[in-house]
Amino acid sequence: MSILPNRRLILAGALAAMAAPAGAFAAPTARRRFGVTLHPYYSYVANIVGDAAEVVPVIPAGFNPHAYEPRPEDIRRIGGLDAIVLNGIGHDDFAGRMIAASSKPSLPVVEANADVPLLPAAGMAARAAGKVVNPHSFLSITNSILQVSTIARELGRLDPDNAAAYTANARAYSRRLRQLRADALAKLATAGTASLRVATIHGAYDYLLREFGLEVSAVVEPAHGIEPSPAQLAETIATMRKLDVQVIFSELNFPSAYVETIRRETGIRLYAFSHISHGDYAPDLFEREMARNLDTLVLAMAEAAP
Amino acid sequence: MHRQIVRRAGAERETLWVLLAAGAILGSAILAVGLRAAPDAEAPLATHLIDSRTGLTIAEQGLYADLKAAGEEIAAMRKAVDRAPTPEALAAESLPPFAADPSAAARGGHAWTLAETGQGIAYAGVSAAPELAGSLLLRLDGHGAEIWLKRAAETPPVPPEDAALTAAGWKRIVSTFTAGVTR
Repeated sequence: MSILPNRRLILAGALAAMAAPAGAFAAPTARRRFGVTLHPYYSYVANIVGDAAEVVPVIPAGFNPHAYEPRPEDIRRIGGLDAIVLNGIGHDDFAGRMIAASSKPSLPVVEANADVPLLPAAGMAARAAGKVVNPHSFLSITNSILQVSTIARELGRLDPDNAAAYTANARAYSRRLRQLRADALAKLATAGTASLRVATIHGAYDYLLREFGLEVSAVVEPAHGIEPSPAQLAETIATMRKLDVQVIFSELNFPSAYVETIRRETGIRLYAFSHISHGDYAPDLFEREMARNLDTLVLAMAEAAP
Repeated sequence: MHRQIVRRAGAERETLWVLLAAGAILGSAILAVGLRAAPDAEAPLATHLIDSRTGLTIAEQGLYADLKAAGEEIAAMRKAVDRAPTPEALAAESLPPFAADPSAAARGGHAWTLAETGQGIAYAGVSAAPELAGSLLLRLDGHGAEIWLKRAAETPPVPPEDAALTAAGWKRIVSTFTAGVTR
């Protein structure tokens, strides 16, 4: 039986492969797969792991994490993870139920906020003598740096071969985040400073404002996505007048008639922050959105300056 | 003569069983709630400690978070060059709260100095406006960072060790991690 030339080539190739040292054809070590639940955590983890691991959003882009209900296909995704990074303080509480229902109920969990000094929840969520915490710790440069450090350390424990790279990447990322804040403050230095009396439409921005020494005088919205009743709205407008609020911070991508009503009735300047929970998951999303938030804050402070 | 008592139609017996069953359920529920009752309120903090969530001013809350983040960066810088960076070097790196930016002024305008301690180093920040934020101390040893506070424009004792700080009225800031409500 004759062997055709191309078959000879295949056979020669197969024999060469068998004769070659095992290491030359060893399968590369599988990359770890780390799950995340929220957009900022995708950015944090993507910047920490670089190409050394894969970052897997557990819930698809486009779902509002405040109103998300786990779906079977999302729960199935958890089965393919090596660990999951959680906000863990109230913004992704659905994750605990998803992990328990998945094929990996003992999946390692990284509590990103374990080392963050938490603040009490604001607005209607404020109850139980400060025991309910504000879960929006990611809307702050300093708290993000603390979380990045914790995530890098914990992922390094789970993946020791890449631990040094995770630490180095985390430091470089933290330096970039710090520079964002420094740039914003430099703009403020030339534009003048102001101590603002602030109200917010969503109790999410305390961490960010306190980096600048600002206090939130009033939170308007009873809960995320729920509009106040007419009676609550009237009371809010009266409160803002009484507190002599100068600036209201609303939320991007959240148009609402009642925000406009407040602005019209009080004449207070209105600015919008990003909640960093919309759009596609991207490594640079957090930096882009936080740069915009910082620019908004600087603009508000500069325009309110006497 | 045979007598047969015919009871009048009623549901007394069934009612009795239903009530007994309801009582048993109620009793077991009371027992379960009693056994699984929430623990008593946490013990108050020791007098030399202060809670970051409830005991700090707004400016102090921000400064405390900044100092925690700075502690890690300083440790890394110290390891890289084998000496403690000065407050001026940290300010040049735009590291809050050492950087002299508008937020530093709005949060008490602290003046920072570096001191060596027995086991490590410490950065003392004397407040120019204690009503906004008290004076702060970041103490770093090989095991991590500790942050102390005193609501006065005052330098900490030298060396800034626990007993001396406590005797001088300084309080160590502590924070607790609270996991989400449904997990």
